[in-house]
Amino acid sequence: MVKKLSYVLLMIITAILLTACKENANAPTSSETTPDETTPTETETTATNPDQLVIAIPADVTSLDPAITMDNSTWKIIYNSYERLVDYDGATTNIKPGLAEKWEVSEDGKTWTFHLEDGHVFSDGTPVDAEAVKASFDRTLKIANGPAGVYSMVSEIRVDDPMTVVFVLSENFPPFLSTLAANYGNIVSPTVMEHEENGDLGQNYLAENTLGSGPYKLTEWKKGDSLKLEINEHSKVKPTLKSILFRIVGDPSVQRMQLEKGEIDIAEGIPVDQIDSVKGLENVALIQEPSLLADYIYINTSKGNAALQDEKVRQALNYAMDYESLVSAVQLGYATQMRGPIPDGIWGHDESVHQYNYDVEKAKALLAEAGVENLTLELLYSDNKTWWETEALAIQSNLADIGVTLNLNKVAYATSREMMEKGEFDLALGVWSPDFGDPYAFMNYWFDSANHGLAGNRAFYTNSEVDNLLKEAATNNDQSARQETYKQIQDIVMEEAPYILLYQKDFILPMSKDVKGFVYNPMLEGIYFLSEMSK
Amino acid sequence: MIQMIVKRLGLILFVVFGVTLVTFFMSHVIPGDPASLIAGQRASEETLQSIRQQLGLDQPVWIQYFHYLGDLLTGDLGTSIRTQRPVLDELITFFPATIELAIAAFAIAIVLGIPLGILAALKKNSIWDNLSRVFSISGVSIPVFFSGLIVILIFYGKLGWLPSNGRIALDINPPTHITGFYILDSIFTGDMVALKSSLQHLILPALVLSYAQLAVITRQVRASMLEVMSQEYIRTAVANGIKGRLLIISYALKNALIPTVTVIGVAFGSLLGGAVVTETIFGWPGMGKFVVDSISYLDFPAMMGFTIIISIGYVLINLIVDIIYGLLNPQMKQ
Repeated sequence: MVKKLSYVLLMIITAILLTACKENANAPTSSETTPDETTPTETETTATNPDQLVIAIPADVTSLDPAITMDNSTWKIIYNSYERLVDYDGATTNIKPGLAEKWEVSEDGKTWTFHLEDGHVFSDGTPVDAEAVKASFDRTLKIANGPAGVYSMVSEIRVDDPMTVVFVLSENFPPFLSTLAANYGNIVSPTVMEHEENGDLGQNYLAENTLGSGPYKLTEWKKGDSLKLEINEHSKVKPTLKSILFRIVGDPSVQRMQLEKGEIDIAEGIPVDQIDSVKGLENVALIQEPSLLADYIYINTSKGNAALQDEKVRQALNYAMDYESLVSAVQLGYATQMRGPIPDGIWGHDESVHQYNYDVEKAKALLAEAGVENLTLELLYSDNKTWWETEALAIQSNLADIGVTLNLNKVAYATSREMMEKGEFDLALGVWSPDFGDPYAFMNYWFDSANHGLAGNRAFYTNSEVDNLLKEAATNNDQSARQETYKQIQDIVMEEAPYILLYQKDFILPMSKDVKGFVYNPMLEGIYFLSEMSK
Repeated sequence: MIQMIVKRLGLILFVVFGVTLVTFFMSHVIPGDPASLIAGQRASEETLQSIRQQLGLDQPVWIQYFHYLGDLLTGDLGTSIRTQRPVLDELITFFPATIELAIAAFAIAIVLGIPLGILAALKKNSIWDNLSRVFSISGVSIPVFFSGLIVILIFYGKLGWLPSNGRIALDINPPTHITGFYILDSIFTGDMVALKSSLQHLILPALVLSYAQLAVITRQVRASMLEVMSQEYIRTAVANGIKGRLLIISYALKNALIPTVTVIGVAFGSLLGGAVVTETIFGWPGMGKFVVDSISYLDFPAMMGFTIIISIGYVLINLIVDIIYGLLNPQMKQ
């Protein structure tokens, strides 16, 4: 009986496998395929359409209102529906004109005057003028959500003439220009107020619609399924691609199959451990660029284990990390060890800054010097990043080598944020990416004692000399002088080691070889310049 | 019977109240601040404070709760913290997709499960019985994320017969919204293109989702059939010359189904829960993913709305189970 049964089972399995293999062997290669031969599903026709770009994203997005969202995955949807006063230039962090054709800044750095270019029109036909720019920023500030926090130094916005808008700042803030090029600098049409409900300044409407002067506008959002952008006829920019489809595909393996079949053009949700399987695909190119995403460990210098208040102990922890193995084990080599807090790719990064290397003996000696024995620490992390689990284990084993016991404390993401805010940890894993292309985005947040907690100084590090230097660097408009000051600060903080700087991650994106014109800008990671792309 | 139904429907009020109380306080006890998730990685205290104020999070929990209850009485489920849209709108958007998937899976589980169970019981210890056992055990033990990928690999990747993702093809417009169920709506509106595409998209996720429950139902039917078949009234019936379909369906199955109905009721609940993983793999735009995202965002209003709807659903399913009980077993009508 058992024998009979196994025969039947074997036959069924063989039959399934045979059908599968046979189909595969007979399948024509993509170049030979005629439309008639690949008609199993209607969906397959979408990516092959040369006028439409199909991008698979791993999850649906949240509110699309530029005055609300601080979420990179939402920015990529709406960035091309709006224009900004200024823009990042191609792949660099330099600034080029946008809606403003030129601008001036006053001597004291507090007054910025922007002269708008003629002929820009919002998607509903309203012209872009100084009043519209003012209304858009006033709205953002009034809504007082995340993006308003970025412009907290703006004290007044003034319209000097129909095409001239003036920003008055309460203090000199050199990165101001750079903040205008990011997503929260998107200019929204003043007609948004026609959609206001219960005094919400149109938040409900903009949560699901776009209303800007960019080359595209959102025309359809099937919740949980897809978002569609189509050309905004009123825009000054005339793009090649007629429509862009962001398709939600949660499973990485499914994305890979769809990319292989040409059903999607770009697959955004493929983790590093599956990248190799994509690399082998004939029709797929792999974009690989250094990103500005820093992965690092916060050492709680004041509220954690008392031993961590000793600079020598912190240095010991820095020397205990096997950086090379971490990069290869956790990121499969798609990352580079950091040198200094300012990542490579942003001005201010300095190759002469001290970089900790893997040196177990030195680490042990430093611990002995500090008189610390049998140290037990706790590492806080969450499920926010998939690779943190592996990373935590690697760090645990690195520290064991120098005689430090590390207990792992994994909590929900929201909980970890609260614990970081309150300083309830010894060590914690974190990532940081800049919101504007200026060393300020790293240095002032990480080291200014006014930013203790979630605001950025998550090591609860305090050094009044550093505070003063940071202030100096933040209020000077001379870039080379600032660079010098930041170098000075980097030397101090690398010595005092409130963080363990692990690596800056690579940006990896599998993309069909048919897609042309993709430009990677590290400041706008994951954001496409759709008007320059084609198929 | 009618009295029972009215009574049970009245019970829903108490259930909803209890559920809101427990869920609300539980979700507020978890440490974590939704404001800090919304405000971005480097929000200042002022920004956080302003967001907390807008969301009413700066008030004591019990005041927040009373506000919530007050709104609930007027049918307002609040605004989702994460998506900034009314929770009711979100539920209306996502719920039909989940229910449609669960019902399809449920139908497959019953239509295949009951005959398979009967077959296994009648041919006890035969190859059919063993096959059905292998089938059932793999159903309960193979996780959905694995079986889901395997069927996608075969039917989408290799054979190209069925789509891998979504509820309807991207270039086909969904049918006019009547019930929110694509299959029903496209039948009502006579939209055959949409119907075909919706069915194609529904098959794989429904099959995968049904597999585990199908297995449970098969085993349950087999066990109770065996038990019933050994009872004396069946022996009497056989002695009286009753055989074949009449014996199995009218005499044995009717009694064997009573415990099965309970299992089926529970199965439907599990299908709703199990839909979360299935929805992720098949990119099915349903409740599951929405809720998981809401939880990780500590989106209280969304979590509450979902819990309320699901608990009402459970009460209704139990009610239906009890009604079917009564129909199957006249003794229970009282």
